[in-house]
Amino acid sequence: MLVRFWGTRGSLPVATRAEQVRAKLVGALTAASGRTFADAGEANAFLDGLDDFALTGGYGGASSCVEIEGGDGDFTVCDMGSGLREFGLSALARVSAGHPRRFNIFLSHLHWDHIMGFPFFAPAFDPAATIVVHAGHADAEAALRRQQEEISFPVAFDWLRAKIEFVHMTPGAPREVGGMTVSLIEQFHSHDSYGWRFEAGGKAVVYSTDSEHKSEAMAAEDRFSDFFGRADLVVCDTMYSLRDTVSLKQDWGHSSSLVAIDLCRSAAARRLALFHHEPTYSDAQIQGMHRDAIAYEELTRGDGPAVEVLCAYDGLEVTV
Amino acid sequence: MDWKTETRGERLVGRPHGRVDESNWLAFSQALVAAIATAQAEALSFVVDLSGVDYMSSRGLRALSTALAAAKEAGVEMALAAPGRAMQQILAISRYDKLFTVHDMLPD
Repeated sequence: MLVRFWGTRGSLPVATRAEQVRAKLVGALTAASGRTFADAGEANAFLDGLDDFALTGGYGGASSCVEIEGGDGDFTVCDMGSGLREFGLSALARVSAGHPRRFNIFLSHLHWDHIMGFPFFAPAFDPAATIVVHAGHADAEAALRRQQEEISFPVAFDWLRAKIEFVHMTPGAPREVGGMTVSLIEQFHSHDSYGWRFEAGGKAVVYSTDSEHKSEAMAAEDRFSDFFGRADLVVCDTMYSLRDTVSLKQDWGHSSSLVAIDLCRSAAARRLALFHHEPTYSDAQIQGMHRDAIAYEELTRGDGPAVEVLCAYDGLEVTV
Repeated sequence: MDWKTETRGERLVGRPHGRVDESNWLAFSQALVAAIATAQAEALSFVVDLSGVDYMSSRGLRALSTALAAAKEAGVEMALAAPGRAMQQILAISRYDKLFTVHDMLPD
């Protein structure tokens, strides 16, 4: 399976500002300290050697959208945040090369940052395309139609040309979709959210975002460990520090890297991707959060196996 | 994890020992609740001595913050003390060092 991240930012898309780009350039030029590079390859090798992704790259700013390859050839996508626009353009290019025009979408929930990309999803205007939206929410279609009403958007939902279907799924009732076994779990979030598990060819990927793991419900967290069980990759909402989730931002519906690591360890999952990054965080702050998460995993590993902690960014591809 | 309490002057000191993780967080949480009830009944403050804790996972940390809320409700002053190197790092990573008063040493 291949997991491709098109949008990793939480709550609100963000863009890198001019002064932030300038700071990266100044940092890289300062680090180069008079070196010369014969070609782009040498320059790239130097940047890789700095081992500072916040300086030499960046985490991106599109909101939640993750593509999973590994089924029977249909497109499989989790959430339709602003990252869906870029995915749609990539999909059209692949369709031009012969890829089937069938899209299986799985929604964590219906909040704006997770559906805002749909009005800009180019394949929705393709009359030969089929888009099947799977959701644990019975009101998914209403949410998508509402955001394209005239008061919010100039192009009405009914003007879209693709064949658009909605499938309501319930926890405990897995389905075979696009060559993968797909199941879901209800999560704590305003108006509920759902985590998704995709299995194919002996591999498993879990997508669990916008999920708060509350202190008063710790005794029930084993159901998440079961759902994450032995997954090859778990994509988890790690938006806040643990302190924030139990204080100022309690009941805001999000979680921390510490809880995600512990759930993955209990589940014997191999890898965790930190996801749904706080929109006010700079690249340096996200990188710091990633380093803290790795340190916490090492400090609390005990006698158990390691959980590899990745930090998702727009454009990251992970093979599982 | 072992747990002991000791009264030192006007403080009740709770002493967890070992790892606090998914296997024993509930016992840790119950010990904290009982200690806060004792501190309230005897008009003591409450300090958790972390010097014997190897590490604490998120459930142990959340048990601590739940206890802090209960202590405030009960009018009991609660603090942490003497974290070793690993616990210092965990408190910093979780930002719990901003949530709790953390003494480097157990107060006299």
